[in-house]
Parts: sequence; structure tokens; C-alpha cells
Amino acid sequence: MPITTAYETRIDHVSILDEHGVFDETLGQDLISEDQLPAIMEHLVFCRQLDEIAFKLQRSGRMGTYPQNTGQEMPSLAAALAIEKADWLVTCYRENTGLFWHGLPPECILLHWMGDERGNHIPAGVNATPIAIPIGTQMLHAAGLGWAEKAKKTGAIAVTFFGDGATSEGDFHEAANFAASLKLPVVFCCQNNGWAISVPSSVQSAGETFAQRGISYGMPCVRADGNDLFAMTKVMKDAVARARAGEGPTFIEAVTYRLRDHTTADDARRYRDAGELETWEARDPLPRLRRWMEAKGLWDKSQHEKAMKSGEERVAEIISNAEEIAAPDRSEFFDHMYADLPASLKRQRDSKRTTSLGQFPEDLA
Amino acid sequence: MAQVKQPADKSHFILPDLGEGVHEAELIKWRVSAGDQVAEHQTLAEMETDKALVEVPSPWAGVVTELCGAEGDIINVGSVLVRYGESAESGDPPVSPAADQARATESPASEEQEDAGTVVGSVNNDGDAPSALTRRRNEAEVVSTEQVRALATPAVRGIAKQLGIDINRVMGTGRGGRVTASDVERFAQHGAAGESSSNQTSRQRVTVADIPEHTPAHPSLPADSGIGKEPTLPPVPVDPSGTTEVIPFRGVRRKIAEALDRSVKTAVHFTVVDEADITDLDRKRKEYSAITGRKLSFLPFVIRALAHGLREHPALNAVVDEVKSEIHRKGNLNLGIAVDSDAGLMVPVLRNAEKLAIVEAAEGVARLAAGCRDRSIPREELTGSSFTISNVGSYGGRFATPVINHPEVAILAVGRGYEKVLAKDGRIYAGLSLPMSLSCDHRVVDGAEGARFLNTVKRLLEDPTALLG
Repeated sequence: MPITTAYETRIDHVSILDEHGVFDETLGQDLISEDQLPAIMEHLVFCRQLDEIAFKLQRSGRMGTYPQNTGQEMPSLAAALAIEKADWLVTCYRENTGLFWHGLPPECILLHWMGDERGNHIPAGVNATPIAIPIGTQMLHAAGLGWAEKAKKTGAIAVTFFGDGATSEGDFHEAANFAASLKLPVVFCCQNNGWAISVPSSVQSAGETFAQRGISYGMPCVRADGNDLFAMTKVMKDAVARARAGEGPTFIEAVTYRLRDHTTADDARRYRDAGELETWEARDPLPRLRRWMEAKGLWDKSQHEKAMKSGEERVAEIISNAEEIAAPDRSEFFDHMYADLPASLKRQRDSKRTTSLGQFPEDLA
Repeated sequence: MAQVKQPADKSHFILPDLGEGVHEAELIKWRVSAGDQVAEHQTLAEMETDKALVEVPSPWAGVVTELCGAEGDIINVGSVLVRYGESAESGDPPVSPAADQARATESPASEEQEDAGTVVGSVNNDGDAPSALTRRRNEAEVVSTEQVRALATPAVRGIAKQLGIDINRVMGTGRGGRVTASDVERFAQHGAAGESSSNQTSRQRVTVADIPEHTPAHPSLPADSGIGKEPTLPPVPVDPSGTTEVIPFRGVRRKIAEALDRSVKTAVHFTVVDEADITDLDRKRKEYSAITGRKLSFLPFVIRALAHGLREHPALNAVVDEVKSEIHRKGNLNLGIAVDSDAGLMVPVLRNAEKLAIVEAAEGVARLAAGCRDRSIPREELTGSSFTISNVGSYGGRFATPVINHPEVAILAVGRGYEKVLAKDGRIYAGLSLPMSLSCDHRVVDGAEGARFLNTVKRLLEDPTALLG
């Protein structure tokens, strides 16, 4: 037979709690313990409150810029639920829910967007990388972290997040190839929200799915409803187990939608159809989970009101913590680049003078 | 990013950068009134930047005592938007914004405040003077006599120090009133005389009133000066009887108006017209259309002729920097294409038009025009042109007196090609003629140079072999 099939594959789409509230008991069984769900809901309420207030902080001049997370809360939270404390979250900038669950103080995120680099000082014991603004760089970091953990035989893994647009960057392809070829303990999670700022996914890729971008590197690929905490938790748990067992990386495409602008410098109304937004508002992951939990008797109105109130208080406290942090001393300029400060910089630090006019600082004193 | 510093006493709220690199915003609608108690994060106003329609929330809770600006005003980033007080009736006297601006200037971070309104930030708020720090002239004329610290880079401060000059006494002519090195040098030479003749006892902060007319705080942004801001004549009253529709004169329409207003007030326009015999070119055009399978208009061919012509006559492919008094001749042809959209006239830019093949130019124009019509065109595609073409012919008409897309120095309006009795070598024939109207800024382009350029374009259009070879 002159023509045979060289390779054939299939990409699954996983949905457990669908947008109509239908729950798949078989797949959904024992994924997330019922005891844990109220705390998860409380966390989600808080994260969304913080997200909306952060937007307002920018508009009133209290923050430089901010990318809202609203609508995309589930994928990173599912990762945080599926991993251990020693595992790495290597994110871009729409993963607040997962980062906070994994232990990152919310103040860090606010400080970062307020332009204070101390926001990128991740506390010891929290295995997360600073949020990555340049598109795609973090995927390589995740491959590197996974490689290091593998070399050290710690058993820890890395989960990295990126958008649909990032899969068009060379960084993705390099990271995917390294991770798959070397069987590194990495999970690649693409948050496909349909838009790379104003570029629709139809323009981004001619492929049917983004999940299939992992196929050529030889990693299993799966697509899941990114607005379904259960579906995301299932695919994450599977991928994490694979990575930990030394079987290499998995590519997850989380199909989701950003319900707000790309950042505070964007106006999505200029390129997105109002009808499309309406469709996705109906798929909003928070009300979906809330309705299901209320029907199951795991959540009620008074709990929700309580969560709203405590969330509000916590948000106010976090903002004041972030805003009232003492201004850094000027000498800190010099503290974080060199282990041993060169003499010329030492002179600048001590004299607080520059040589920008061509003089030596001591001549200016 | 221009991060503004809000006053520690929460006496007033300074309009921050509402996006990234936003310098001003139009006040669309107030959502609070003077006397209202507002909560933290409560929306104060809806404002429109050149990027988005946004809601501006209050950064703290308090009683709003004053709204600084009227709906329709353009408010600079860095200007006071609202004032707060104890209560509407017994509010403390408002703190002078100048004092706050001066205080803000002392922190090194305020270097980042740029020209974002700090130019007009020293307006005194005494008496009956309107308090909104918008760029409305009547308010900007109220000049603070307060001694304030000049805006300048450390290098310029160093020069002033070397020359023994108090930099705060130097009039800044740079961006946003910054004191430049040449300001310091000029002051060193003529300073004392200049200062005493200015009839001021103490040096004042530069205000809008000090900036020469047509010198934008931001030379690249056409909206920074223009109509409504320099009313030297009393406004003409309008009789509303018989009016069937009142259309707010704002938004994109006003941006267009401001740009045109600035152009005619700045550039000295002259227009030269001619017609090109495009009978042969029409044949070529049809050939090209048949080969490429794409219906081509004359526009891409005219673009080619312009590219050739501007290489021969670089004086017309230039922009004027009014602030630095410089003419910048451009090597590449970044061609502005005037497009009529629902929102009004837009001028997207066809980059490096001299490098484009005929079909590429046609596709480029089609893409830009489509982007303008559905408003999906990114902002960066609307700036940076050095010569503009307006295809007035597609709407009828032969000749025009096009207004230059300032700070460019020339614009070509192309009329509709029409059949005409022509004569060549003693023979009369029915040919196709293309009317062209070229406006130039006479300050930069001599009449003869303009005519020579138009002649080059005409010669190329009449000789397709030379044009396309």
C-alpha cells in the first residue's frame, strides 16, 4: 500500500459544569471536595472585587495601568488547586486568582501595576515568578524551571500561562520543543480568550484549535471550557500527574473570554461586537459556579453577602497597604544590580550626584 | 506615563492619565453636582480620551464643592477636575492649585509630569476667575505671580549653574514650558534687559498666555491649540429660530476643525492647478487591471508619480517644527491619504509609499480606507505623514484649494479624470484629462518650486513608460 497513515490524533474538549448549569457527575466526581468550595467561592468574590476596584484606581490616577482578569478567573485557579506548594506558577497577567491561592500577597500585584518594583519581590516560600508583560517570555522560564527541578529531582513541576496570541511567538515554540523533547515537568496552559488585544483568533491562527499547536512537539493536547472550574481542574490534575510522573509536558487550551478591556489603555468596544460580549457574559464563570453551588446547598445568599462584605474590607485594606508603603530610599537604586558595586557607582550612591555633565561627582560637591 | 500627584489634603482631584500617554480628555458628562457627598470609587464624570470613553471615579470620599469645567471642555491631564470641602456651604477656601503644583514639582518624580497641564497649572484661583484649569484662554490669562520652580533637565540646570543664573528666572520655551539650554544661553546674553522689559517684579511661571500663538505644547498633536481657545474677536451670536437640528461641535468633528484651523492660521497657502493627459496611462491602467485581476483606480499611479516627483523636489516632502523653527525634509514618502468616513475626515498614512508596487499601493489604500470606515484603524496609522493626497475627484469636481495637513507643507487634490478634446503635435483628439490642484505652504515652498513639482508629476502621468519603467 503506497499511502499509509503516518500519524493521527484527536483533540478532546472537556466540559463538566456547562453554561446551562448541567453537571457531569461521572467526570466531576471527587474533583474538588465540597468542603473546599465555599472557600473557593469566597476567594473568587474577593478577586473580582479587587479586579473592579483596581480598574477604578487607574482611572483615578492611583495606578499606572491595569489588565482586568474578570471572566478569566478559572484556569489559573484550577492550576493552583491542582499543584503543590513547591510547584511553580509561571504566569502572564491574567492569573490573579491562581497566584493569590498559591500564596502571593495581592499587594504585590497592586504594587506592580502602581509602578513599584517591590511588587515583583515574591516572598520566600511562594513559588511564582513575577508577572510577565512582554508576551511569551515566561514560557521559556517555565521550561527552564521544570528542567532545573528535574535535574534536582525534587519532583516539583511548573505550570505556565499565556494567551492565544503568545502561541504565535517563537518563545512558545522553543519552550514547547525543549519541554517535550526533554520530557520536562511542565504544563502549558493557553488562555484562549479570543483576542490578542484587538487581533481576533481567526486572524491569529488558521488552525481549528490552539490546542493542536502542541501536537507537532509531541505532547498531548486537550481543550477545556475555561469558564468551568471543574473542567479546568480535571485537565490540570491530569496534566500535573503526567508531569510529575516524568511523562513530560501537556498542552491545555482553556477556551475563555476577557469580559473587560485588554488593559486600562484599551477600549474593546472599538473592535469587539456587543453581541459577542453579551454571549460571553451569559457564560460568566462566577455566576455559573454560584448557581450550581446554591442548587447543591453549598452556598446561599447570606454567605454571598458576607463574602461581598468581607471582600470589600479586604480590598480596602490591601489598597491601603499598597499605597502606604514607605517610599524607597534613593540609594536603593544601586542595590539590586551588582553583587559588588563598581567604584564609580559607589561614588554616585554616596554623593547622590551623577556624572551626566561630564564632571566627577566630587567636583560638584 | 504622566503620573500626577494628588494633593495630600484631598482638597482637589487632579485629572490623571486615563490611559497610557493620554494628555487630555474631553468632559462629556458630569455624574455629580457641586454639594454632592461622593463615595470612594464613585464615578465623577464621563470623559473621552482619544482612545476611549471612560468613567472617572473619585479617589476618596468627600463632599464635592466645585466642578472645574463644563461639559464639552477639553481638560488637560494635570488640571484640577473637582474640588472637595467640608460641606457645600461652609467649605474651606480652596487651596491654590499653584501651591500644589509647586510642591509637586519639588519631587523628582514630577519630572514625569511633562507638559500635561502643568503649563497652565499655575493659574490663580482668586476672586471670580474661573477655576477649571482647562485650556480656555480667558482662564489661562489669569497669571499667577507666585514664584515657582522651573521645569528643566539636570543637564540644563547644570548649565545655568555654571553660568551663575537662577534657572527659575528663565522663560522656558521647550515642551510644556521646559527651560532649554538655549533659553539659558539667551538669558545669559539678554536676560536682564529682557526681564525688566517684561514688566514683572518677580519671575512667573510660563502660562498659556506666554506661549506664542500656534506653538503647541505638543507639536505632534494637532489638538493642542486651535479654535475656541484663542478668541481674539467677540463670539458672533447665533439666532436659534428656524434651527431644525443642533449638533454638538465636539469629538472627532472638533479634532478635524482644530487641525484645519491651525493649518490655515499657520501655513501661508497658495494653490497651483494643472491637468495631465492620462489617455496613455488609462490604457496601462486597464492592462494592469487585466493582469492583476483587480480593478485599479488612477490613485496608485498618481502615488507612484508623487513618489518620483518628491524625490526630485524634496522641499515638498517635509514637515515644519514650529517650536524649534526647523524644516524637516523626509527621505521616505509617508503619504497621508484623506479618507471620508462616517465620523468625518481622517488621514491614514501609507508608509514608505515610494517602495510600493502599483498593486501594493492600491491594496494599502484600500486597507487604510476600510480601517477608517469601521474605525478599527490603530492610532499610530494616523500619524507621521509628510505629504497628503486627497482624491476629491471620486466625489465629483475638478479643481480644489486643498488645505495642507499641517505640519506638512504640501497637499495634492486629484479631480475626476474626464474625457476632453486635447491637442498634440498639431492634431486634435479625444483624450482623458486628470485635473490636479496642489497647495503649498509658501513659507517653505516657493511658487516656482511648487509649479516645477506639479509639472514633474504631470510629465510622469503623461508618460507611463517613464512612470512605470
